[in-house]
Amino acid sequence: MKPELATEMANDLSYETALPLHLAEPPQPSKPRRDPWLVGAAWFFPLFFIFSLWQLNFDYSQLAHGTGKMFQLFAQMFPPSLVDWRPVLEAALQSLQVALVGTAIGVAVAAVFGFLAAVNLFPRLGLLIKGVAAFVRTIPTLVWALMFIVAVGMGPVPGILAIATHAGASLIKMFSQSIEEVDEGVHEAIKATGAGKLQIVFQGFLPCVITYFISWSVFRLEADIGESAILGVVGAGGIGYQISNNMRSYLLPETCFAALVVFVLVFSVELLSNWYKNKMNLK
Amino acid sequence: MEAQWLRIRRQKRVQTVTIVVLIAALVVWSAVQTKFHVLTVFGGLGEMGKLIVNDFLPPHPEALKGLIEPALDTIYMSVVGMVVGSLISAVLAFFAAATTTPHRIVLVLVRGFASVLRNIPGLIWALMLAFAYGIGTLVGTLAIIIYSVGSLVRAYAEILEEIDQSQLEAVKATGATFPQVLGQAVLPQFIPGFVAWSLYKLELNIRASTIVGMVGGGGLGFYIQNGLKLFHFRDVSMAIILMLVLIVVTEFFTNKIREKVI
Repeated sequence: MKPELATEMANDLSYETALPLHLAEPPQPSKPRRDPWLVGAAWFFPLFFIFSLWQLNFDYSQLAHGTGKMFQLFAQMFPPSLVDWRPVLEAALQSLQVALVGTAIGVAVAAVFGFLAAVNLFPRLGLLIKGVAAFVRTIPTLVWALMFIVAVGMGPVPGILAIATHAGASLIKMFSQSIEEVDEGVHEAIKATGAGKLQIVFQGFLPCVITYFISWSVFRLEADIGESAILGVVGAGGIGYQISNNMRSYLLPETCFAALVVFVLVFSVELLSNWYKNKMNLK
Repeated sequence: MEAQWLRIRRQKRVQTVTIVVLIAALVVWSAVQTKFHVLTVFGGLGEMGKLIVNDFLPPHPEALKGLIEPALDTIYMSVVGMVVGSLISAVLAFFAAATTTPHRIVLVLVRGFASVLRNIPGLIWALMLAFAYGIGTLVGTLAIIIYSVGSLVRAYAEILEEIDQSQLEAVKATGATFPQVLGQAVLPQFIPGFVAWSLYKLELNIRASTIVGMVGGGGLGFYIQNGLKLFHFRDVSMAIILMLVLIVVTEFFTNKIREKVI
């Protein structure tokens, strides 16, 4: 406590009688109130972490043993073998194609349903479509791929369908959000000219949101290329198949090469999308 | 003036059309290469609809009993993955941020390491780990940790780089020691972003853990993959519903906490 404050309080009779001096703290600078959610979370996560570790009951000797094996595995992987560079690169190309076609279909679907899902255009239908899209989106692409394999058989086609499904559902959310952010004035102005719903969409909304649509689609493509690289693991075409197959046949240097190709693929896409982001920000 | 404006406009239009045509051509070429036909979309969706209606519905409620353990495993793996992953990442991010790194070479090394972890998909890590550690939740957890560290190091490093330097200077000017600077100037600015990103990661981990489960990481993913192989579709749809519930519940709670922190 500051000395001048202490003396002031000591002179104040009410303080003297009410509280012993050492308890009379000066009014604190208004501290942010402790939020029950935050306090709860701060207690919950460490405790639950310990509980989880206890429940998972890891075999720590296995951890040590496996780590040694992991390093052996890495050592055996190098140098990467270029023996089957042709099928690997072809599979990588197929992954890219799967991602591209899947995202394109997703964008097309979302371009239509995004408008139908916007609550400022279609209040009731919008909510319904959004709900369905949220449901579809929560199921990972890989699970969709597994289900499409059961439905249409193996190969790149179930991969494309799975990516289109997931990409479409995610883009519906993004697109409809962009549409809902359009200034209400635009809507009113076009409506006042007596335009129909289609005219409102094409003349009023589309010009406002098209750049957002393009940006979201580019980011979606980035995510989908990462997804399509692993779809092959479950048999849906592309480079993932090469990796899981090589791994299962213990062809480690070949696996390493395929994994490196995936790395280069995803990394270059990340660089491209970063470049695009920066360009958009500068504008 | 008018003519010039028109010319620029025409150029712009030509540019747009070229890009659109190029992209369309790429898509069509890819579709041809992958033997994909527009009709397949409808055919595939039709088959999917039939599959869902005939084989997946109604979900098997009896499967729930067997599902509780995998679902709990998924939660445990995600939480352990998040906590361990974010702690490792916080330390590494310190070396990967331009403002706090001891040396430029360290920065490049740590960032490169994180980028390798990040850009090789989690599923592929899980495949390799399953090879070394055998099948089980240990593999799933480790795969989640690896996958988290890759993206969190970058995110945390960006937060550290955006820290207001004048606050650091101000604390330093009072003669604070290094730990004091860290505690009074760096941490308060780092914590909100740290918490927000870690929670976001928890959400992603729940999704990721169902995926790494498919190659032997345990949890719900393993169950789904197995059920599909054995044609126990109604059990699988129950598992998917449970997964959805998990994701929605985590999203709800993490959103609540995130709102309070930021």
